[in-house]
Amino acid sequence: MSGSELLDRRLVVVTGKGGVGKSTVSAALAMLAARRGKRVLVAEVDARERVAPMLGGRPSGPVIREVLPGISTVDVDPRHALEEYALMVVKVRAIYQAVFENRVVRFFLRAVPSLAETLMLGKILHEARSETSGRPRWDLVVVDAPATGHAVQLLGVPRALLATVPGGPLRRDAEWMQALLSDPVRTAIALVSLPEEMPVTETAELDARIGKELSLPRGPVFLNAMPRELYTEGERERLRAVLDAPPPLGPAARAAVLQAEQRVRASAQATRLRELVGRPLIPLPLLAFDRWGRRAVERIADAMEGQV
Amino acid sequence: MGALLRSLEGKRVAIVVGSGGVGKTSVSAAIALSRAMEGGRTLVCTIDPARRLATALGLGSLGNAEALVPAEAFARSGLAPKGQLFAMMLDVKRTWDDLVARHAPDAATRDRILGNRVYQQVSGALAGSQEYMAMEKLYELSTERDYDLIVLDTPPTSHALDFLEAPDRILDFVGNETARKLFAPAIDAGRFGARLLQAGTGFVAKTLSRFTGSDVLSDVGDFLGQFQGMYDGFKERASAVRTLLTQPEVGFVLVASPSPLSVDEALFFHDHLRKAGMPVAGAVSNRVTPDLWPFPGGLPGTEPVAEALAAALASAGPGTEDLAARLALTLQEHQAFARSDAREVERMRRGAPGPHVAVPRLPGDVHDLSGLAALAAHL
Repeated sequence: MSGSELLDRRLVVVTGKGGVGKSTVSAALAMLAARRGKRVLVAEVDARERVAPMLGGRPSGPVIREVLPGISTVDVDPRHALEEYALMVVKVRAIYQAVFENRVVRFFLRAVPSLAETLMLGKILHEARSETSGRPRWDLVVVDAPATGHAVQLLGVPRALLATVPGGPLRRDAEWMQALLSDPVRTAIALVSLPEEMPVTETAELDARIGKELSLPRGPVFLNAMPRELYTEGERERLRAVLDAPPPLGPAARAAVLQAEQRVRASAQATRLRELVGRPLIPLPLLAFDRWGRRAVERIADAMEGQV
Repeated sequence: MGALLRSLEGKRVAIVVGSGGVGKTSVSAAIALSRAMEGGRTLVCTIDPARRLATALGLGSLGNAEALVPAEAFARSGLAPKGQLFAMMLDVKRTWDDLVARHAPDAATRDRILGNRVYQQVSGALAGSQEYMAMEKLYELSTERDYDLIVLDTPPTSHALDFLEAPDRILDFVGNETARKLFAPAIDAGRFGARLLQAGTGFVAKTLSRFTGSDVLSDVGDFLGQFQGMYDGFKERASAVRTLLTQPEVGFVLVASPSPLSVDEALFFHDHLRKAGMPVAGAVSNRVTPDLWPFPGGLPGTEPVAEALAAALASAGPGTEDLAARLALTLQEHQAFARSDAREVERMRRGAPGPHVAVPRLPGDVHDLSGLAALAAHL
């Protein structure tokens, strides 16, 4: 799938290697969707919250809060997800407290295979399909998912439960969760990468795992922090001759040659990634912001315009 | 030799920690390589599923076995080490299985545990399991092998403290008496379990089974029952690991890129290591943008650059003004990165006092031995 219909999905999961800019891409996708009049929820998964602060708001914590018109955020953590889910099952708070706040039971809940992941994913997917007065509560839920290995664990949870849990409420939940996650009409898993050797390798592996191992609908691949093409080969040669010139020329030439070399390497990696994943990439510009905030996110959203 | 490598002299174990994507694997391999160059017998152990180290070391696959980096790989990079460099990739599942085999009283118990569904989840997917096994493997390597230096490249953990806490957290559960009684109706049923279930705890178990389904509960019960005899062995070993981590022969190395998040994470880890009495050998600020304008006065605009350009190139030609504008812009952008990086490096230096090295962004990714050697020169 190209990026063009990405924001028409109900659920977009954003993942990739650590440090590639998943939160920025999640925030920019939300901003773009909000510009198109959509109501968006961005869910972070048991993280040090980044999206709300990036958009200029306070962290939301475990309770959904609107940070900009049309954009709400939440940080889903296992403890609150458990409480919400358990209360849906047992209905009575006193019973919940007696059972689930028991110290031993807490141990148990932490060790039950993938329970934390199930609850967090369940909470997010529940938001993605919930309706108020016949209308979806959210037009789009963007999940700022954990990095590679943990994301595969998280997204693989319903599948793993279906394989191991023979019956009961947990299995019924796993069934609808898997149905939503694997539905290419409602869901897409978007990847974020950087134009560098190791991130490209890891992105290609992750893309293959999402397709083959998890059988989930693969969305677009964002190539973040792509340097611009600013200097021709001829100019680079001329600038190399003046690297040691006194300021301002020498330092400016150095900066330019570093930038140009970075661009050449990045282009080679972009080509490599495109070949490995077998589909076009959505490049996002490398931006020189001293501090990373809402203005930077807006610029990324601008760059996405017309591509998603 | 830089401040970090000097601080690691005399250490037998280096544990490299930091958030994902900051270059931990490269730093780990560079540390091990550097000692091997000087004649040491060193091992770098990584856990990363992307097999980055394998690529970096020119090895096909690593899979829980220590493999000598072949002489040809060094020769290709123009390096002649006096010692030997080994590399391995940690296989979490296999490390668990080995640990069970080590502690199981007999083959039948071992096989029952290895076949239990809950065990398979605990050993494969449980949060903290990777971190626990990384520490376990490190202990095994440091007590049963004779490397001069073992460098552990830690997994890109979402919760840095999992290293310190995961073993106890996991063991507290598997060894918990009450838990065992609560979730072991299957093994205790013949004896007093049925009665226990009816009294008090039955309410808890019943409510939980409405929640998870009763099969999950009895799987957990089976697992806990089988694990009972091995608990002490596991516990002893986990405590030995913890003791090892406080020894002066061990050094933690914090790695961060100059981004606010990565520095936050490194400093958070630093404080907890200090509190836990674990020795921090030093910190690395990796991939720092160099400062190209350490001069008084603001950055130049287009005009002075254009003049200098015209003078230097003799033939000013038509495109000069345009090129000068781009040069001035590129320098401004470069310095914006450099300023932001310098701010984070300074925060790292203050927050984690002690040996600190700032590694400039090197041309190209570090993905081969010569790249690692170039990196080591900055450590």
